[in-house]
Amino acid sequence: MSTNKVLVISGAVLVLSILIEMIFVHHHVYYWWHGFIGFDIIYGFLGCVAIIVVSKFLGKVFIQKAEDYYGGGEDNES
Amino acid sequence: MNLEFHPGFILLLGAISVTVLPLFFRRVVMVLAPLLAIAAVFALQAGTVWSYPFINGLELILLKVDRLSWVFALIFSIMALLGNIYALHIKNRGESAAGLAYAGSSLGVVLAGDWVTLIFFWELMAVTSTLLIWYRKAPQAISAGFRYILVHFFGGNLLLAGIFLKVTGGEPLITVLTGTNDLAFWLILLGISINAAIPPLHAWLTDAYPEGTVSGSVFLSSFTTKVAVYCLIRVFPGTELLIWAGVIMALYGVVYAVLENDIRRLLAYHIISQVGYMVAAVGMGTDLALNGAVSHAFSHILYKSLLFMGAGAVIYATGRRKLSELGGFFREMPATVILYTVGAFSISGVPLFNGFISKSMIVSAAAYNHMPAVELLLYLASVGTFLHTGLKLPYFMFFGPDRGLKPGKIPLNMHAAMIGGAFLCTMYGVVPSLLYQYLPFAATYEPYTLDHVISAMQLLVATLAAFWLFIPKLGGEPTVSVDTDWFYRRPLYYLTISLVNFVSSVRNGFGVWGNRLLEAVVPFFRNPLVLVPQTGENGPPSPFYQEDRYRFPVGITVLMSVIVFVVAFSYIWLT
Repeated sequence: MSTNKVLVISGAVLVLSILIEMIFVHHHVYYWWHGFIGFDIIYGFLGCVAIIVVSKFLGKVFIQKAEDYYGGGEDNES
Repeated sequence: MNLEFHPGFILLLGAISVTVLPLFFRRVVMVLAPLLAIAAVFALQAGTVWSYPFINGLELILLKVDRLSWVFALIFSIMALLGNIYALHIKNRGESAAGLAYAGSSLGVVLAGDWVTLIFFWELMAVTSTLLIWYRKAPQAISAGFRYILVHFFGGNLLLAGIFLKVTGGEPLITVLTGTNDLAFWLILLGISINAAIPPLHAWLTDAYPEGTVSGSVFLSSFTTKVAVYCLIRVFPGTELLIWAGVIMALYGVVYAVLENDIRRLLAYHIISQVGYMVAAVGMGTDLALNGAVSHAFSHILYKSLLFMGAGAVIYATGRRKLSELGGFFREMPATVILYTVGAFSISGVPLFNGFISKSMIVSAAAYNHMPAVELLLYLASVGTFLHTGLKLPYFMFFGPDRGLKPGKIPLNMHAAMIGGAFLCTMYGVVPSLLYQYLPFAATYEPYTLDHVISAMQLLVATLAAFWLFIPKLGGEPTVSVDTDWFYRRPLYYLTISLVNFVSSVRNGFGVWGNRLLEAVVPFFRNPLVLVPQTGENGPPSPFYQEDRYRFPVGITVLMSVIVFVVAFSYIWLT
């Protein structure tokens, strides 16, 4: 599927979910974000971006090494 | 009277019989033994205790059933059935036996009532699970298996030391140790933490699980960590240290999963992430949190084994295990794609699948417990879970760039096991009361409120959108990730080598100098007769043996005696 199609469909689903949330959902508010309409959307999107960026950064800085780092590449199942 | 059998012993007997039976009967046993074990679990009554006298007045409690051990016994025997069906096509009798014995010893730990029984089955698990790695026979599987078993023996010895303290202190029964904070507490906690794969003690898991046989890794993914979670619930509920350990675990696995290229290692990092939820819940220690830990362990065993089965099927059919070498063959393996997706939806907490009914319980427990940071960070980890297991892995494994792979056929039994797993994941997701009725602690929870469902949907769809934007950056890269196993694969390796070299050089040095000393001294202690010119008859020396001439010089013996005497005398005199 093309990127635009996926984004349009997920956008439509999210708008629909916000409408349902505003009209029907009765929130149990323990902290402010439980009552914040659409908090999960923002958290999911930004969280996902943060995970990718931070992990890739750590990977580049010290985690990722060449495949023969521990001596000898890892072969495929034969 | 109600007939009761130990389900673990049924599997262990099955394992022993598998080592001698011919192939057809082996397959019968591999299905029949787990079925009998499930039946045996249902026949067990809460409150049953089997006690046997052992040495020094100790009682061995081989079986002790309460609601907590019962629900774990149920899921372990169900998993033994699914795993054995998945492994039904293998012809190696040792591997079949190891799988059965590993599942059986896990049941032994869960149903143990005293520490000695627990450590026995604990070590049996370590040994049998190592075999599941070694049976792949590739060089890197052999060495990963050695690292695996060394770590587990280390952890087992810590646990054993703690158990010695407990048993000699007159407490042979497994009890709650929360808050005791003595040496035994820390030793037992460390021993169990190694098996629960709490960072930095987790690297054995991601090192070894991807190296097991295709069916062996399915077993591995199910038992060891969840047995450790059971022990944490049993022994350390409410130990606050575990809350943050669990949160770190949940995110640690997510970060490494972004970077991972090996499909089974990516799944292994998500075992750490998921077990993090359970460990955090044990740390919270409320009834709802502990119920969450139990039900998440129950769900996790089902969906994670399903995911490992799917990845194993891909490895079986294509012979490849890296994302950077897979892709584009979803039309060739449609059943695997669908069944894998059920597992991926379950682990991601999509409503109507079993991850949703258990993970949300732990996240909610954090909120009810007034731990906002814990709640938000665990919620963030579920974003990462969906991102990798639900989106990245299937996208680059089945779809993604076409590498022109022609996957082979997968045996029927592998599909059957995956269908069974997918069915159970969906069944418990749709009807959560099937699981909730067995939960051991007094707390109720309603997962299917509109609030929860809408939140989950929003979180997942937003993650999907972000994933789609980042797809070009997320493909597998041909790298390995350094983790805490680096410490024993690099510095410890070189340290060992240099120590061995040092000791050898000292030994060689002593040998060389000792020889020189001996050569210098021996002439002075020669047989004195040799020095005396031969008297009597002339002519060539007699060809016969003359004991006076050839006897080993007495002088050396005298020299040795003198040395020993001097050493002994000076020791006595000096002290």
